[in-house]
Amino acid sequence: MITIRGLKKWFDTRRGRVEALRGIDLEIGEREFCVLLGPSGCGKTTTLRCVAGLERPDAGEIEIEGVTVNAPARRVYVPTEKRDIGMVFQSYAIWPHMNVFQNVAFPLVRGRKRFGKELVAEKVRRALHLVQLDGLEDRPATDLSGGQQQRVAMARAMVTEPKILLMDEPLSNLDARLREQMRVELKKITRAVGVTTLYVTHDQAEALSLGDRVCVMHGGEILQVAAPDEVYARPANIFVAEFVGEMNFVKAKIAAGSVECALGSLELPVPPAFAAAGAVTLAIRPEHVELAAADGASGPLVGTIASKNYLGDAALVEIEVNGVTLLAKLPGDTEIAVGQRAAVVLRPERWRVFAE
Amino acid sequence: MSVTTDAAAARPAAEVRLPGVGLFAGGLTALLALIVGIPLLMVVLMSLRTGFPGEGGPLTLTNFAAVYSNSGTYKVLGNTLLFATGTVFVALLFAVPLVWLLMRTDLPFKGAIYVLMTVGILIPVFLRTIAWILLLSPRIGLVNQWARQLFGMEQPLLSLYNIPGMAVIQGVSFVPSAFFMLAAAYRTMDPALEEAAYTSGVSKLQTFLRINVPITLPAIAGVMVYLFMTAIAVFEVPAIIGYPARIIVLSALIFTSTNPPTGLPNYGLAGAYGAVMLAAGLLLAYFYVRLVQHGKKYTVITGRGYRPREIALGRWKWAALAFALLYLAMEVFIPFLVLVWVSLLPHLQVPSAEAFAQVSLENFRHIFDHVGALPFVNTAILMFVVPTVTMVLSVLVSWIVVRTNVSFRGALDTLAFLPHAIPGILLAVGLAYLGLAYRSWFPVYGTVAIIAIAHTITWIAYGTRTTNGVMIQVHRELEEAGKVSGASTRTVLGRIVLPLIAAGIFNSWIWISMLSYREVTMALTLGTRKNVVISTIVWQFWGNGWVPQVAALGVVLVLFAVIVVGGLKIAFGHLGEWQS
Ligand SMILES: Nc1ncnc2c1ncn2[C@@H]1O[C@H](COP(=O)(O)OP(=O)(O)O)[C@@H](O)[C@H]1O
Ligand SMILES: [Mg+2]
Repeated sequence: MITIRGLKKWFDTRRGRVEALRGIDLEIGEREFCVLLGPSGCGKTTTLRCVAGLERPDAGEIEIEGVTVNAPARRVYVPTEKRDIGMVFQSYAIWPHMNVFQNVAFPLVRGRKRFGKELVAEKVRRALHLVQLDGLEDRPATDLSGGQQQRVAMARAMVTEPKILLMDEPLSNLDARLREQMRVELKKITRAVGVTTLYVTHDQAEALSLGDRVCVMHGGEILQVAAPDEVYARPANIFVAEFVGEMNFVKAKIAAGSVECALGSLELPVPPAFAAAGAVTLAIRPEHVELAAADGASGPLVGTIASKNYLGDAALVEIEVNGVTLLAKLPGDTEIAVGQRAAVVLRPERWRVFAE
Repeated sequence: MSVTTDAAAARPAAEVRLPGVGLFAGGLTALLALIVGIPLLMVVLMSLRTGFPGEGGPLTLTNFAAVYSNSGTYKVLGNTLLFATGTVFVALLFAVPLVWLLMRTDLPFKGAIYVLMTVGILIPVFLRTIAWILLLSPRIGLVNQWARQLFGMEQPLLSLYNIPGMAVIQGVSFVPSAFFMLAAAYRTMDPALEEAAYTSGVSKLQTFLRINVPITLPAIAGVMVYLFMTAIAVFEVPAIIGYPARIIVLSALIFTSTNPPTGLPNYGLAGAYGAVMLAAGLLLAYFYVRLVQHGKKYTVITGRGYRPREIALGRWKWAALAFALLYLAMEVFIPFLVLVWVSLLPHLQVPSAEAFAQVSLENFRHIFDHVGALPFVNTAILMFVVPTVTMVLSVLVSWIVVRTNVSFRGALDTLAFLPHAIPGILLAVGLAYLGLAYRSWFPVYGTVAIIAIAHTITWIAYGTRTTNGVMIQVHRELEEAGKVSGASTRTVLGRIVLPLIAAGIFNSWIWISMLSYREVTMALTLGTRKNVVISTIVWQFWGNGWVPQVAALGVVLVLFAVIVVGGLKIAFGHLGEWQS
């Protein structure tokens, strides 16, 4: 359990004050895997480091397992080493003067709770088994590959069986294929251990596949916290819609129940909040832009294929309709070619409406 | 100043294959081997000969027998070790806390401290030593004069004329180089290593002992070895403080063997003493390189956009600042103020109403009358020729080491690093012997050229370290992008490579110019009446006891250096912008 309330943090730099966090509220439940997602510089790392106690917030409160660990207003601050956490750093931070065993054993030998020799050996063995590094105990840290360092960092973070696991872009220094593989494994491991996890990434695919819940951040604020499918299907605002997955945007005007835009008059279920809004932005995902043969039976929307980007399992096609370029995602084996004309089918329930 | 003898290995896929590159590289290697090797050979040769340089005669071990059967030699070796150890201790005592304070805490006025530390480098060690003598000499020292006047003390309050006193002055002078070397090592250490320990539940003290100390140990050990290697060969403090007090160390002994106050020079003895120093220097250099390479294994790539938190000093802030100020006072403020004060008076006296009444610029007005124009001309020649030749050679060497796949580029790099391990005084003695014994082949003895050669050989190690670093930074693809756009090799070098490396090269040029300007040991060893430079003039004045003139010239020397370096940095500061 982690509870964050009204968290604010600013940095005073030579170029003035940087407001890194402008009031973060977040509750992460027991055994939940929560992902902080957002573009670079939005304050993800700062949030994580505040939870770890490596950064001291300027306002707000943080509770871990019901214990207040940060409350600047009440001068409460529990130092990092007293918090029941494990952390995986972006650079892995494997201590170069120790071997694998010594790295993983360090928290057990010098940490909060200390254990006898035999128990340490057993716990280290189990932790290394969990990350599939059995038998690498004696390897010097400087002789490890990136992927292996990553696993050692995981083992070290979990060997004390902490209640909270914090990870800051742990996969971003791995190459693409290894990243995919580790992503799946990471999910398995945290599930198996049942640890509450706060995970930072700027990679939306990673966030969607890992998180029980995804928390989208921007400019030091939280824009949306929801399950991954919810964030994808019902983004809270334009920024989330654009940042998570691909999205087509079309400017529109609301007029007497229907919506007018360059694509014509659309019959959409307009949320009541926008009934009188006037100008809005419509959004639809590329996979919801359907194309059909342009014959007599087709509807009023017909366009020309402007480009085709073949991806193997899918093809991304740009089609120009009434001066609007829409991106459509089709199966990889589609026969459609650049220059062809096609009818566009846009189902009303697939549209999302945002304030302009 | 960091060492990258394996710069060649850092870029294994070098693939420049220009016709003649191999030949050119071979020529350059041969040239370096000659200019570095011959002076060393001379030291060995002179140690095996008796009589005057050039007298020939059979090779003999007489000198070694004379030197090492004399119990005085062992006393000297003992002094040298004590002095060097003390020096390293004092230097680290200041440098290690300063690195931590400036790199990791919220110490106020960091920028000013950095600048003042650089100014410290610009005050020649012999001037600082002289200033401290003027302050603490048992007889004439201002502090002791004052203690006598005020308290009627018979015994001096404090004296510098002992090994600890020498070690303090030399150690303080080593702090800036120790600081910059350690800071470079510290900068490559990932602060997350420390934070990972905290998140593992490890206390701050345990983290410091089990993580910080072991990880920085190779770097500290490397700096220790480097300082020790330098300290066993330094000459200025041992000559100015040690010699008059009969505390003789190896370098002073070598110097007096070749430049005796009375009698004839004995190069044979100098060679025999020098052989020990050379052996020790090379051995220490070997350990140094090993340590640096070991330390490099510990440097980890830091996560992108990562900035460590500055540790808040809180109540300790002012204590820490006081510590930094104490150091700066010893290094910069006190020596400079003493020189200024003494330079304004007709003779050395403690501040008093009477003394203030005599303050004038008289000493400055007469500098030229005493000195003449020659030392200024000679110094100007050194300040221009030495950095220019050194940087040209360095660029050529680095280009081969970093950018080509010549098979012996590693050997070339090692050769260029070797002068780092050769004590300046030995190099100078070797060159002097060469100039005297083989006058017809090497007709430069007694000219400013021989000093310029000595300086160039010494600083080629520093020059190539910088140019290696700079060239590695300029990514090969920047060059290739130029070629792909259709530019000729010459255009690529002139329009792309040169502008990118210009700032780094310019910086080292200034530094080498300044180092040459303030250098005294080699200039003195190679000095005659004709090739006097400003630093040797100051030295002579001091020998003659012309204290106010020494101070006046010293003040001018320091001010000139500060103005030149400061002015150039301000004028050309923008050159380095893209490197930040
Ligand atoms: N130590 C620091 N000093 C000054 N500004 C900082 C510091 N750390 C972070 N920031 C600023 O705070 C903002 C948030 O940074 P961060 O949390 O690292 O972002 P993210 O991890 O989402 O990329 C950025 O604008 C960054 O420049
Ligand atoms: Mg970050």
